Amino acid sequence: MVSGFIEAIKSCVQGVEPVEVSYPEKGYHYALEAGAESLPVVVGFFDEKRFYLECLLCTDYSDVLELVYLFNTHLAPCRVKVTLKIDPQHPVAPSISALYGSASWYEREIHEFYGVLFTGHPNMAYLFLHNGIDHYPMRRAKVPVPPEDQARLDSFKPGEAADSFFINLGPQHPSTHGVLRVVLKMDGEYIEQAEPVLGYLHRMHEKMAENRTYQQFLPNTGRMDYLGAMSFNLGYVLAVERLCSIPVPDRARYVRIIATELNRICSHLLWLGAYLADLGALTPFLFVFDDREQILDVLEGIAGSRLTYCYFRFGGLYNDVDDQFIEGTRAFVKRMWSRFSLYEKLVTGNVIFVNRTKGIGTITKEQARKFGAAGPVLRSAGIACDLRKIEPYSSYNELEFAVPIGEHGDALDTYRIRIAEMENSLRIIEQALAKLPGGPIMAEKVPKKLKPPRGDVYQVVETPRGELGIYIVSDESDGPYRMKWRVPSFSNLMIFPELAKGVLLADAVAILGSLDLVIPEIDR
Amino acid sequence: MGERGFHLEKEIIPVKFALVEKVLDLARANSLWPVTFGLACCAIEMMATAMSRFDLDRFGAGVFRASPRQGDLMIVTGTVTKKMAPVLTTLYEQMPSPKWVIAMGNCAISGGPFVFEGQYNLVEGVDLLVPVDVYVPGCPPRPEALLEGFLKLEEKITGTRRFPRVESAW
Repeated sequence: MVSGFIEAIKSCVQGVEPVEVSYPEKGYHYALEAGAESLPVVVGFFDEKRFYLECLLCTDYSDVLELVYLFNTHLAPCRVKVTLKIDPQHPVAPSISALYGSASWYEREIHEFYGVLFTGHPNMAYLFLHNGIDHYPMRRAKVPVPPEDQARLDSFKPGEAADSFFINLGPQHPSTHGVLRVVLKMDGEYIEQAEPVLGYLHRMHEKMAENRTYQQFLPNTGRMDYLGAMSFNLGYVLAVERLCSIPVPDRARYVRIIATELNRICSHLLWLGAYLADLGALTPFLFVFDDREQILDVLEGIAGSRLTYCYFRFGGLYNDVDDQFIEGTRAFVKRMWSRFSLYEKLVTGNVIFVNRTKGIGTITKEQARKFGAAGPVLRSAGIACDLRKIEPYSSYNELEFAVPIGEHGDALDTYRIRIAEMENSLRIIEQALAKLPGGPIMAEKVPKKLKPPRGDVYQVVETPRGELGIYIVSDESDGPYRMKWRVPSFSNLMIFPELAKGVLLADAVAILGSLDLVIPEIDR
Repeated sequence: MGERGFHLEKEIIPVKFALVEKVLDLARANSLWPVTFGLACCAIEMMATAMSRFDLDRFGAGVFRASPRQGDLMIVTGTVTKKMAPVLTTLYEQMPSPKWVIAMGNCAISGGPFVFEGQYNLVEGVDLLVPVDVYVPGCPPRPEALLEGFLKLEEKITGTRRFPRVESAW
């Protein structure tokens, strides 16, 4: 798709001028500007060519609001940035939620944070914010919320119906893994409609980024997704390194891989324990925490913390790894290999577990594309999209590993994939340890105060939950002008209302668990 | 009890049986039943405290209850947002007396790292909503710190400490 893209879009859509941009500098391949009239045609073209909507975001440039649509294809990356400029006095844009299910939530998010009204959107209710909010938080100037929007603040009001009733799943519920709330419309034991309500842990990361320098924002990344903190750390430093063109020494790149993969195993282990606990098996929880503590000991030795790591720096690492770390990692890898057979006996062959997950929450390829599913959920649908393979960063292209995919797209497949991914991570760690080069761990001459050139970058990494995208706009100051986080759990949760339609309440819990949600990452 | 927050009306107990109360307090301190109330990052450390290595059950406090009506201790583990605040208060009110609250982590204590000028969604400290008995600082606190928080709470309930205090080397 990359080579013939310009000709293809020019022949299908009249009056657009796509520009090829330098991928290593920007992180996307093409950029084009659309008008409010041509946008539906452009989006129709992407849908026809089987692109998925990666992200939809808004930036406030005071005199103009800019909507950015990022489209991409799954197996051969061809990322296209489509911009739409709108008037901040009358912020109205056409909705594309009819074509892309994933756009629906992004549009609702932009509406509540920027006040952009999307025409043709079926449900503009607020997703994140609480009832007391009186202005659009992400706008540069203080814009009060007009009365017609105030009515939308109370995000979900169950209506009256004769045969059905409503159940609140959360925000305090053990199986929502935190503070997610799902309002369920039930017909007896069966779910008619599921409506997630977010924002119970909205910690304003994106707003904070606009108030911080690049270095000051670094600790926030570990708190956004506390289970995959290393991956989020890595994504952020890679994005800033791309923005400021900072080279990274070989040794640092390999250590980054080892640390990130250890953290990935840690995250999958916790998922395994929590998911089985959701399904009623409490014992594996104790087993996985035993393994997990071994990893935490190793990572604590280099990063200094157990959970919310802040180990990477722009241009390298916080400190070098020592022999103790390498020995500890080797010992853990050896131990972990022997544990899989235990899990196999405990879990995989367990008939209750299999019956509760087989054929539950089946995702088709088309659904995965329309809703922008990511990570193991996407791969369970049979799409072998792993960004470590497709858009290699750090030194992943020098290592060998497989991309496990599912056959049916059900919850059991996501379990199998995560187990296979842990094995893969062990293989990656073994190779990286064997290849670990010497030399410095920090790039030379990284300025204390970063002043990146004007412009934007997009950086993706594969976190334990899937594709994380970071979009940074720089205005030549020492902090980002705008930072957008495209987070995997958010796009995976979008698919949940589709999957939950018509299933039993107990199965909905099994589906919700198989998506591996981390709530602070969704709410940001 | 938090000084900057509001105070709940002190419970009025018409008759107090001194010795019976002491025995009851001893029982309460050694069988704290926490409510499963995970908010953010600290919840993972709370889980780690209850699991294999740190084993909260040693102190009789490992029985996490999913329903607030069965618990007598709320561990606020993470950031409290304005949207979550009414939910948290409701949960607290549903718990039977006597009840205690541990504020775990900097977010629950004061808003922690998420306080900045112009913030619009944060309750800066859970003690603005409910009375807090023990504060456990850290971001997130280590499991050892939470265990120390439990020992502190036991001390508060019974007046005596289970283990001799370990003096810091620094």
